[in-house]
Amino acid sequence: MTTPTTTRSLAVVSAGLREPSSTRMLADRLAQATAEALRERGEEAVVEVVELRTLGHDLVNNLVSGFPAGELKGAVEAVTGADALIAVTPVFQASYSGLFKTFFDVLDKDALENTPTLLGATGGTPRHSLAIDFAMRPLFAYLRASVQRTAVYAATEDWGSGELAERVTRAGRELADTIIGRAPAAKPDPFEEPVPFERLLFKE
Amino acid sequence: MMQFGIFSVGQVSTDPATGRVQSEHDKIRMMVRLARRAEEVGLDVFATGEHHNPPFVPSSPTTLLGYVAAQTERLVLSTATTLITTNDPVKIAEDYATLQHLSDGRTDLMMGRGNTAPVYPWFGKDIRDGIDLAIENYHLLHRLWREDVVDWKGQHRTALQGFTATPRPLDGVPPFVWHGSIRSPEIAEQAAYYGDGFFHNNIFWPMEHVQRMIALYRRRYEHYGHGSADQAIVGLGGQVYMRPKAADAIREFRPYFDTSYVYANGPSLEETMKTTPLTVGTPEQVVERTLAFRDAVGDYQRQLFTLDLGLPEEAVMEQIDILGEEVVPVLRKEFAIGRPAHVPDAPTHASLLTAKNAKSDDDKEGATR
Repeated sequence: MTTPTTTRSLAVVSAGLREPSSTRMLADRLAQATAEALRERGEEAVVEVVELRTLGHDLVNNLVSGFPAGELKGAVEAVTGADALIAVTPVFQASYSGLFKTFFDVLDKDALENTPTLLGATGGTPRHSLAIDFAMRPLFAYLRASVQRTAVYAATEDWGSGELAERVTRAGRELADTIIGRAPAAKPDPFEEPVPFERLLFKE
Repeated sequence: MMQFGIFSVGQVSTDPATGRVQSEHDKIRMMVRLARRAEEVGLDVFATGEHHNPPFVPSSPTTLLGYVAAQTERLVLSTATTLITTNDPVKIAEDYATLQHLSDGRTDLMMGRGNTAPVYPWFGKDIRDGIDLAIENYHLLHRLWREDVVDWKGQHRTALQGFTATPRPLDGVPPFVWHGSIRSPEIAEQAAYYGDGFFHNNIFWPMEHVQRMIALYRRRYEHYGHGSADQAIVGLGGQVYMRPKAADAIREFRPYFDTSYVYANGPSLEETMKTTPLTVGTPEQVVERTLAFRDAVGDYQRQLFTLDLGLPEEAVMEQIDILGEEVVPVLRKEFAIGRPAHVPDAPTHASLLTAKNAKSDDDKEGATR
């Protein structure tokens, strides 16, 4: 038996609005599949779920004031400090929801650089499934996240098929494999480790 | 010991009740009147912003400050901020050296990058070069005030060969420079490198963020050998509105807050007071809140308040009076308590001249020994 030695932090962002929410359900299943795959590989996962539904007011305030206040501050720290990110949105008007985008709008543009990221989306019909590829992937490409090759889309009808579970398991396994090969997240803090001035001045 | 003063962004006000917009002429004259009143009630510093777009009037800070210099005796004239990115450093060197002579040394200035994106292209620059411009331009300015003849080549300005910026700084002492930045660690690093002052405007953002910037600056000031971290030269801003009763202050300030170009449609006045250093209440509350700044960043050298964010002149004058009569005298007394002797006062022309003379005496002694 292997004893878990390393603990990885998984941040899960869900932009679902209803209670219960199929977006949150998909997010939880992806997190669970990733945690299980990590455990099989001898590592432990700590999952922190960020429900954007409860952060709507703080997000709009952040757009105006320029800084995250209230619970949003903790949510931003959880996501930007995590070993991996699972980001799931409902498809609204053929794309990610505005709430989902607003959360990623208020992050520093480098905050997710190289973070292993698993994408998921939900919708009423399978005809929206490419929203992951034409809307979500460009967003996370801009943020220079390390986006997993498998993403999971769940239409209403998928919740009645066994195939969704297979896709979720595969996505979790792939994300776990990516995480395993890496050192635990430690982003350089520019306030702790400033770029020395000579380098700024002489651009060495 | 510490310096206290006011800083003004210089926007023309719109009365939220009547919608009446103040004229530019009135706003410019009003800034002069505010500066004079600040001196009358015993404040130390008046600092003006620099902006190149309506509804702001101070596009020509040294013209304004030169005029104020002629009408005041004691007040230190400063900026908040001088755009080191889009101004030619040669012109900054000349303009502020001239102001320094006219004001008999009552001049310092604060470098800032400016956060209005279109200003950069108006002056032929690119906002993406903001940090680079701040670093390169200031390095040239720093040399122009310290070297009589400068050869220079950089990325952002035409080269100089055998150039002498005139007039030379008063008594050979360059104006003291503060570097202002809300969130860029590079600027705290820059201030530390030169041993210059670092100013955080300390409005709009949470105190814990301000603390991180100041802590970085102090640590690096020591690293670059200018003194210990607690001897670094720190300035803070703040925004206040005061009334004998807190409820009156809140009621009177709210319409200005709710229509302000920075605060409108964001977090409420109450939330903003909780998350940022904005204080709307009694003079005692302002004293208490300001004294707590020292707990956050250590003993510091300069405290400026902004008062005129859209408020009519009468109201701003009243606020200056309250600052001068009820707030600053208490702050001076309280801040002096427990302040270690090795923590320097805010630099002035006189103190910099004394330091320079002491240094050249040392050098002479060293040479004859």
